[in-house]
Amino acid sequence: MPENFDSLRPTRRELLAKGTLGIGGVALAWLLNQENLLAVPATVKLKPQSFDLKPKQPPGEAKARAMISLFMHGGPAHMDLLDPKPELTKFNGTDYPGEVIYSFVNRASKKLLGSPWNFAKHGDCGTEVSELLPHTAQVVDDLCVIRSMHSGHNGHEVSIRYWQQGIPAVVGRPTLGAWLTYALGSESQSLPAYMVLSDPGGHPVDGVLNWSNGFMPPLFQGTVLRAQEPRILNLDPPPHLKGTLQAQNLDLLRVLNRRHLELHPGEADLEARIQSYELAARMQTAAKEALDLSQETEETQKLYGLDKDETREYGTRCLIARRLVERGVRFVQLFLGGQPWDTHTGIRTALPAICKRTDQPAAALVTDLKRRGLLDSTIVHWGGEIGRLPVTEGDPATCGRDHNGQGFSTWLAGGGIKPGMTFGETDEFGHRAVKDIVTANDFQATLLHQFGLDHLKLAFIHNGQEQTLTAKRECRVVREILA
Amino acid sequence: MYALHSMRQWNLVIAVMLLVSQSCRGQELTFETHVRPILKAHCFDCHGAEEDPKGKLDLRLVRLMVKGGESGTAIELGKPDASLFLRRIKAGEMPPGQVKVSAREIEVLEKWIAAGAKTARAEPAEIGKGLGITDEERSYWAFRPLKRPAVPQTKNPKLEARNSIDAFVLAKLQERDLAFGPEADQATLFKRAYFDLLGLPPSRDEVEDFVNDTEPDAYERVIDRLLASPHYGERWGRHWMDAAGYADSDGYSNADVDRPWAYKYRDWVIRALNDDKPIDEFIVEQLAGDEFLNGKFANLSPSDIDRLTATGFLRMVSDGTGDGSVDQDLAKNAVMAETLKMVSSSLLGLTVGCAQCHDHRYDPISQVDYYRMRAIFEPSLNWKRWQGRLKTLYTDADRAASAAIEADVAKVAAEKNTKQTEYMAKALELELAKHPEDLRGKLRDAYNTPGDKRSPEQQQLLKERPSVNISPGVLYQYLPKEADELKAFDTRMDEMRAKKLVEEFLHCLAEEDGEPPPTHLFHRGDHRQPKEVIKAAMLEIATPPGQLIEFPVNDPSINSTGRRLAFAKHLVSGRDPLFPRALANRLWMHHFGRGLVGTPGDFGQLGERPTHPELLDWLALEVMSGSNTNASSPLSFKRLHRLLMTSTVYRQSTARRPELDPVDPSNLLLGRMSVRRLEAEAMRDRVLAASGSLSNAMFGKPIAIAEDFVGQVVVNDMSRRSVYVQQKRSKPETLMRAFDAPVMECNCDKRPASTVATQSLMLMNSEFALKQAGLLAARVRLEAAAMSSKPLPFEFDPSLLPLRPGDLWQIGYGEFDGSTKRTKSFTKFAHWTGSQWQGGPIVPDPAIGYSFLNAAGGHTGNDQQHATIRRWTAPIGGTVSISGSLHHLSENGDGVRSRVVSSRTGLAAEFIAEHKTVDANIAAIEVQPGETLDFITDCRESVTSDSFAWSITIKLKGTDGKEIAWAADKGFPGLPTPPMTNQIAAAWQIAYHRPIMPTEFAAVCGFFRQQFATLSETPSIADPELQVLIDLCQALLTSNEFLYVD
Repeated sequence: MPENFDSLRPTRRELLAKGTLGIGGVALAWLLNQENLLAVPATVKLKPQSFDLKPKQPPGEAKARAMISLFMHGGPAHMDLLDPKPELTKFNGTDYPGEVIYSFVNRASKKLLGSPWNFAKHGDCGTEVSELLPHTAQVVDDLCVIRSMHSGHNGHEVSIRYWQQGIPAVVGRPTLGAWLTYALGSESQSLPAYMVLSDPGGHPVDGVLNWSNGFMPPLFQGTVLRAQEPRILNLDPPPHLKGTLQAQNLDLLRVLNRRHLELHPGEADLEARIQSYELAARMQTAAKEALDLSQETEETQKLYGLDKDETREYGTRCLIARRLVERGVRFVQLFLGGQPWDTHTGIRTALPAICKRTDQPAAALVTDLKRRGLLDSTIVHWGGEIGRLPVTEGDPATCGRDHNGQGFSTWLAGGGIKPGMTFGETDEFGHRAVKDIVTANDFQATLLHQFGLDHLKLAFIHNGQEQTLTAKRECRVVREILA
Repeated sequence: MYALHSMRQWNLVIAVMLLVSQSCRGQELTFETHVRPILKAHCFDCHGAEEDPKGKLDLRLVRLMVKGGESGTAIELGKPDASLFLRRIKAGEMPPGQVKVSAREIEVLEKWIAAGAKTARAEPAEIGKGLGITDEERSYWAFRPLKRPAVPQTKNPKLEARNSIDAFVLAKLQERDLAFGPEADQATLFKRAYFDLLGLPPSRDEVEDFVNDTEPDAYERVIDRLLASPHYGERWGRHWMDAAGYADSDGYSNADVDRPWAYKYRDWVIRALNDDKPIDEFIVEQLAGDEFLNGKFANLSPSDIDRLTATGFLRMVSDGTGDGSVDQDLAKNAVMAETLKMVSSSLLGLTVGCAQCHDHRYDPISQVDYYRMRAIFEPSLNWKRWQGRLKTLYTDADRAASAAIEADVAKVAAEKNTKQTEYMAKALELELAKHPEDLRGKLRDAYNTPGDKRSPEQQQLLKERPSVNISPGVLYQYLPKEADELKAFDTRMDEMRAKKLVEEFLHCLAEEDGEPPPTHLFHRGDHRQPKEVIKAAMLEIATPPGQLIEFPVNDPSINSTGRRLAFAKHLVSGRDPLFPRALANRLWMHHFGRGLVGTPGDFGQLGERPTHPELLDWLALEVMSGSNTNASSPLSFKRLHRLLMTSTVYRQSTARRPELDPVDPSNLLLGRMSVRRLEAEAMRDRVLAASGSLSNAMFGKPIAIAEDFVGQVVVNDMSRRSVYVQQKRSKPETLMRAFDAPVMECNCDKRPASTVATQSLMLMNSEFALKQAGLLAARVRLEAAAMSSKPLPFEFDPSLLPLRPGDLWQIGYGEFDGSTKRTKSFTKFAHWTGSQWQGGPIVPDPAIGYSFLNAAGGHTGNDQQHATIRRWTAPIGGTVSISGSLHHLSENGDGVRSRVVSSRTGLAAEFIAEHKTVDANIAAIEVQPGETLDFITDCRESVTSDSFAWSITIKLKGTDGKEIAWAADKGFPGLPTPPMTNQIAAAWQIAYHRPIMPTEFAAVCGFFRQQFATLSETPSIADPELQVLIDLCQALLTSNEFLYVD
């Protein structure tokens, strides 16, 4: 066995020789006695660390194989969408009886703002949903609505990093998608394992950090699909090479590389690079195919709202997301540009607008995955990093709601999450999560669990330190929401 | 399986398995060796490290465990089941929190208690505060004092061991009946040395010189030459910049503020390495260069500037203090914490970060140790009195000179002002003259009243007549001469200001004089919870027992505290065991691809163990020695490079061997050299060097990055080495980032070498790759033209070479002989414009008149002697069919006449086009190899309006039945290109620095043939011959032979 180096064995000579500093009589005597114990080093590693995207079996039982995260960053107003608050309506216009944790103190008010929208029970489960989300209401029997999400911080970046990377405010860490890819590899040999669908309105708050591999190798970073065609960078051969010419070029490259490999038998890195060209070549067609929505029926396209101006863009991305997981992509995340959920002002018009854009596509995704038998193994996540306050912000006529990291709502579907339920509660006005609080780390631990992974054991060594997604912070798998 | 999930888990598992198996073999488990490390990892935080242990239970000694705490005795000797301590652990109640003691660890604890909870020796009667350092910890390899190990005796030393390094490596190989591998061939060694020392490929002349150098010391002389090259500093400076965490921006927050002067430090590093600045000075200046200046940071002398620039090292970590929107106290303390991380991982080979909040769980580094180290830097990174990062290079004299110039400028400005006032008044009168006389007075008053003092009436007046509101900018409309006069003033002032010395700054650390601030230990690392004051000192584990090395509180001999200076001097004194090992390992890592310790930033318990500990120590002592013979000569990096590179270990081939590979697949024993992928910068530089883009320019402001329309971060200037490219933390350059260039979160100990498909897409399709391939192709053609007529070092079958589309065509003019029905004369045109052939630079040419041809058609000559002729030569025999059309473009004249004339059989067809297009088809002509077909066009009778277009496609059905097609426009030849063999040979020389091999040559010929066939059917590519060369170049630039080094 190659690990059995005697590298730690101090020679008797060395030990007996007088060092310039000396290490003391006791130590020396001890060393002489214990020489044998130190003879075998514990940790000379056998192989240099190498990373790949081959599919890997998780150590635990996996309910989910893939995840689509509809990341509604910006702070959806939960009391207007998924968390009905009759008390808030009742006491509309009176002062919040307690301390409010604001972000924008200069525009702060304690006046409660009852939801301008009505809630109704839906489905067999009877979960109450706002009239702003009529399509979501249709699929509520497939959803687990969590009403006790908690970030503890009001800021977007601080909370986004917490949600995506495990520690509030800290940058430089890998995202959930990177962790899943690192742990489980890819099930597609022709597509990247971790894909990001960006918004035409630009990058989300915190930009590329949202799909960063952090301290992991770049192999695990999200591959960004652009908001418009072409959706993958460098995917298309330059027009003049496309087709036969590039195929011939790659053939020549393979001949050169094979010949070089013959002179370097057994060099796995060289072999891997040859393969990476082959995957890249496959991606050129596979990704093209995956992104070709003309293959979808008119009925499916309509389901996602591709026939309507307001839903076409987001619906297209939801449909792409489905096609990607269908083809073995592990993790897909959708972002929004321009913070449409961040309704500090004009909530009466702004909130219906973003709901209109996203409600039908999000619900369609659940419906479509379910009828294709994919929902069992795919987790769909809808939610943001914070919610909003129950009190008004700014001039009452054009008011909005300020950030609220103390309590908000999110929903999950599929992948072994219990359908048709609600979990957790905020206080009677919706400011603070008070029952069955779910933190970002709880949320992450639960998701990893559904993939057969243990948030304490899934670790990566960075600069000699063991790193985990939840950073060894206090958290738990929320078993109550597991089917 | 969790293959790589948990190194720590893995380490512990191995360690524990080992312990369990040892105990099974009857070896005794002891507290010191087996139990204490488990307690240290899980329990001491609450039960031993601090003064009031939780539940009054102190676990630091066995007798204290027996004594127990509030709940009674913790362990019952010999009775694991009765031991409360173990019961609570097994029940998962202890430790609280998520991290639990593993089953294997519990097994060790259980067996140890069952065996009577033995200690290795009598426990001390007294135990002080904290965890202290045990003898076991002191004997850990990384903390042992440095001592020169005996160089091992090896069998056959003369044959294999050139120097002591070889003896150490060979001894280990021989223990396993292995030996060194064969030496790499000279050319491989040569290239290896180039990429290793310069990160650049050799030039063609350098390759040639080396090939022709048959002296036995040719390789050694190459090393000397490379060490003297200025590019050495760029290459090894980049390595050092990784360790230092170099960046041209602050990071920390989204603002990621630029650091416009950080590059001065980068340039300092490059210069220092090129000058072979002694290692001790290199380190001391970076850690404490400012302390030599005695608190005077103005009017800097060149040597002051040099030393102060060096302290940029301590200003490299991310730094939020330049972003007003972040919590400043937090940001300042973060700078300190990051700096300590960077200093400890780069110079000490240790991670100290976790001791900020609590004693290090695995290594003997206490929280007090952490704050001892912090105290070294506290006076210069004092969060309560934060010191700026920029120091001006302006001297008082510069400032005075600049002020004098400004004073002169002010005089000119005043002069200009006077004139301007005068001219504006004049202009106003000219303008007012255009307005009714009765309004002029009012308008003048309104104009002359300052804007904010105008009455509503005046405002209204000017609003109605806006043309009155003239400004100096429109003066030229009224008084052009005067306006020019004023402009001349501006030019004069600009010229005067241009003489001022531009003010530059250093991005540095400069400790100000003043009362040194106390360093408090922060409870749980929180700066808002200061506890006791800690004095600056070396980590206790790195000092002899009981002899803590403290640094001065305030060195009275200088105007700064002298703490960093004392720390730096200690590191290079030869008495410190950490720094020399860390540096030796770093050097080894960059030369061999892997350090003797695989974790260069962490020699502690969680890091890897050295593969060759004696060699590491030997080398560490070499780092601290001037030379083999003279201990007082300067400590030299270059000497160490030479030492490593002239060893037999380094000169080995990369070939894996059947006897070696199964034993040591990862090459830890160094029985061969490892194949390595070029780092991102070296790869990019190699591409730029190959394409001829790279200049030799050194130093200076960072080369700007830019974001392209899809958000990729690119460098538009391709002429500079990658080390000079702007390093913005939030915007790493896309190509280099993809190839693992670090994003400097803090610093970078070690780079991974990833292999992913997105890299391949980048090399296949990115603008960078395509552009560089095009530039390389242009260079190949240029160099191919200068090559000998026999460029290949082997004989080859000429029929391998594909015909180039242009090979079959000649373009000229001449005469058709009506009587013989044959071509009477043919002369090639003499002048190429870039798109057409003609008689000379100007049409009509004095000698041959209007005659010219381009890809699509041309213009006939003025007479029958100067008809245009396209001549096609049949490469093989067969039946030719010709299709196309002849188009006469003008409505004037009498049109043109075209003939097709065979050299063997004479006139084959004749077409006339007059103001129209006619078909020009020939069903069949028999041709023999070498026979020519001339496509002749003349002007008929009238000599005007004879432009024409003639599309010609020749299809030749060979005797074998295969059909080949040629289009005249595709094959339209420009200037003759060098022979294809020359181009291929040149491409190989430039990209690979070696001659092409016969099999490769055959493959390339086949590739060309394929591409020419494809391109003949691809109308969009105008120059097929160039395209196939570009494609070949791209394949070379993106091939493994290019990306990896043997």
